[in-house]
Amino acid sequence: MPVLRRLLLLTPALTLAARHALAQGGTHDHAAATPAAASQGRAKAPRDAYVYIGWPQDGQVINGTRFKVWFGTRNFGVAPAGVATPNTGHHHLLVDTPMPPLDQPIPNDRNHLHFGLGQTETMLELPPGTHTLQLVMGDADHVPHDPPVTSRRITIQVRPGRAVPPPPPAPPQ
Amino acid sequence: MMPKRRLLAIATSLLLLAPAAYAQLRTMPETARVYILWPSDGQVIRGAFWVRMGLADAGIAPAGVEKANTGHHHLLIDVDLPPLDQPIPNDRNHLHFGLGQTEARIDLPPGRHTLQLLLGDETHTPHQPPLHSRRITVTVTP
Repeated sequence: MPVLRRLLLLTPALTLAARHALAQGGTHDHAAATPAAASQGRAKAPRDAYVYIGWPQDGQVINGTRFKVWFGTRNFGVAPAGVATPNTGHHHLLVDTPMPPLDQPIPNDRNHLHFGLGQTETMLELPPGTHTLQLVMGDADHVPHDPPVTSRRITIQVRPGRAVPPPPPAPPQ
Repeated sequence: MMPKRRLLAIATSLLLLAPAAYAQLRTMPETARVYILWPSDGQVIRGAFWVRMGLADAGIAPAGVEKANTGHHHLLIDVDLPPLDQPIPNDRNHLHFGLGQTEARIDLPPGRHTLQLLLGDETHTPHQPPLHSRRITVTVTP
């Protein structure tokens, strides 16, 4: 117990020392200090982690403007926003938009849908036409991981009409 | 008189405790649903395969994370539903996905097998009412 208490007392001192050392290092190359600090803040992800859109498929023609999107996650876990468990994140679905900057929080608007409860699927409603979909994982603070965990960007055709239930999905690889 | 009063006291405390025990089971949105997206019921599969776990109208959280309307998947293989008011066992018939995984590579010996998903809360205990998928049967060929 005394050892633990001493350690606890030491922790802030060590943090201060580390900060001091970082600040000292930063003076040598001020320009490089900022990106280094930013990447330190991003949650790490294993190299083999990836996400994919399990449904719909790339090139799919969808009859009906309301359909389900299923988020696939491999070698990685799902956690709600605000939860900093290692090797987890939450899904963001990018609709008709390119990948946002990877070193800052993912925007939150109708093109960047957040699934901060830890959802693994959603019902999407899109007007008829061609649309793109892409997934990117965000950490507890909605910032993409390092390296980023993203899916391929897929293109779908939405046709007007009533939604029909999707056929059984193809077997995963 | 005394024993009667004591009995009454015990009965009252039991009445008070019962809802407390009940309340410990976590609830989920009424529309929440757990299902096995892949494989489908009756599927014939060669060798090892991926099980894709579906959860609608609720969220996934790793074990140990207490957050309303979330849980994590457990895959029951060749086994009935366990008691629903206590933590789900952790063995080769009850696979835990406490990191918040939503798919798993499963390697089963050739033959018929049953698969069923059961969601657990941060302590691996099913919700109230319990959220589980239909139990499906698959046939694995060598």
